[in-house]
Amino acid sequence: METFLIVAGVFLLILVFMYNTLISKKNQVDTIFAGLDAVLKKRYDLLPNLIASVKEYMAHESITLEKITELRTKALMGELKNSERIALDKQLSSMLGNLMVAVENYPVLKANENFLHLQGSLNELEEQISAARRAYNQSVNDYNNAIEMFPTNMMANFMHLERKEIFSIPSRERQNVDVKNLFQK
Amino acid sequence: MKPSLSSLLDYYYESMYPLLKALEEKRLGIIATLKKAALTLFCGAAFLFVFLTHTNLFIPLHAFLLSFMSGFLMFMFVYRHERAGYDALFKDIVIEKMIHFIDSSLLYSKVNSIPEHAFKQSELFVESYDRFVGSDLVRGTIDGVDVHFCDLHVEKKVRDNDDKESWETIFQGLFFVADFNKSFYAKTVVLPDVAERNFGVLGSWMQGINRQRGALVKLDHVEFEKVFVVYGSDQIESRYILSHALMEKIVQFQKKIEKPLYLSFVDSKIYLALHYTKPLFEPILTRSVLEFNGIREYFELLMMITGIVTEFKLNEKLWSKR
Repeated sequence: METFLIVAGVFLLILVFMYNTLISKKNQVDTIFAGLDAVLKKRYDLLPNLIASVKEYMAHESITLEKITELRTKALMGELKNSERIALDKQLSSMLGNLMVAVENYPVLKANENFLHLQGSLNELEEQISAARRAYNQSVNDYNNAIEMFPTNMMANFMHLERKEIFSIPSRERQNVDVKNLFQK
Repeated sequence: MKPSLSSLLDYYYESMYPLLKALEEKRLGIIATLKKAALTLFCGAAFLFVFLTHTNLFIPLHAFLLSFMSGFLMFMFVYRHERAGYDALFKDIVIEKMIHFIDSSLLYSKVNSIPEHAFKQSELFVESYDRFVGSDLVRGTIDGVDVHFCDLHVEKKVRDNDDKESWETIFQGLFFVADFNKSFYAKTVVLPDVAERNFGVLGSWMQGINRQRGALVKLDHVEFEKVFVVYGSDQIESRYILSHALMEKIVQFQKKIEKPLYLSFVDSKIYLALHYTKPLFEPILTRSVLEFNGIREYFELLMMITGIVTEFKLNEKLWSKR
């Protein structure tokens, strides 16, 4: 009887440990996603100012600007799933990248103090977003490993935990950010 | 402009050589004094040994130990006295001049060190210590970046099984502090990855439960992960600091230096500790100061240290740090 109780106790402890590990990994993903969301929000807050300051100079880029505004509105509209947010963020990052390339054709805008300040802030936010994406990917990777590896996969099945999607990191974010190039043109 | 080895050679012959000649004379004088002292003290010790054994006050072994130990201690006293004066002069003539040659705006103090609170704030070495000795403080601005560095030796007192006291080194070597090019609030510590290298997966698991250091930060740079282990109080900010570009630079720097490297990022500052087994700027008494190779070694060391700013691109500040 005693042996049975010991074995049952150890088994219960293992179950508790696996359950807690999975929950902590799931919460870690949520916490980091909240951090990522906070930086993304900062970027959304910056966009109206950015668009207002470039609009009058960049008449030929009105489609890009409209698209950026539309994506921002969509992102702020309400309850979006994590995967939808990820897709939206990817689109927005690519549009902003295009906009910053187009700025090169507007020398007056490039000399505008207000714009330079916004561009600087945006660049810093991009770095923070990139860091948050990397942190998110790592936490999702740990979580996905836990729900697929034996023996935690059995507990994960029981808890109906599903695989989460990771961000694809754009290759330009893996490169060195050339600050001089960004600011001293 | 970065000084080159050829410009050092010009500087060496034009500005340093006459002073070095005087220093070399002093060095030869010290060696002669030490030789004389050694000979005199040896003879004195031998005489004392003979005297003590003849008086039958001590057994020969005790008489031998007493006479030669006192001779040795007296020699060490003379050596330290002579050495201290020479070291100070060497630092004034060689190290200070060379630092000013590299960057005339830098300030040098041979007796000062970084403050203890900076060492504690870095959280690189969390063990409690009993002795904090530093020297050769260099401070100033390199490419617009505030820097401080010094030679540091931090030790703790340990007692062995026989209750015998001894000093154990916690850290010895270069301690470098500079403003980082990004603002941040969290704390990130980068340490040599001893556990994973020696114990593999088990080591990695052990790192994960090191609560003293904070949460383990697993990074997405394979080579960096092999060499270092990272702890941080914020997973996102640690990655904001340790971008792919910076991790690559740290790996390259480590490969070049081949010494245990410790880094921490606290309160928008970078702390770097490079472990050496000997003092950084002290002269070798048996080597002539007129040998250019010796001077070149100190120059290369100082160039490596001051080059950290450009190596890690600390001078390319992000917008909010400008």
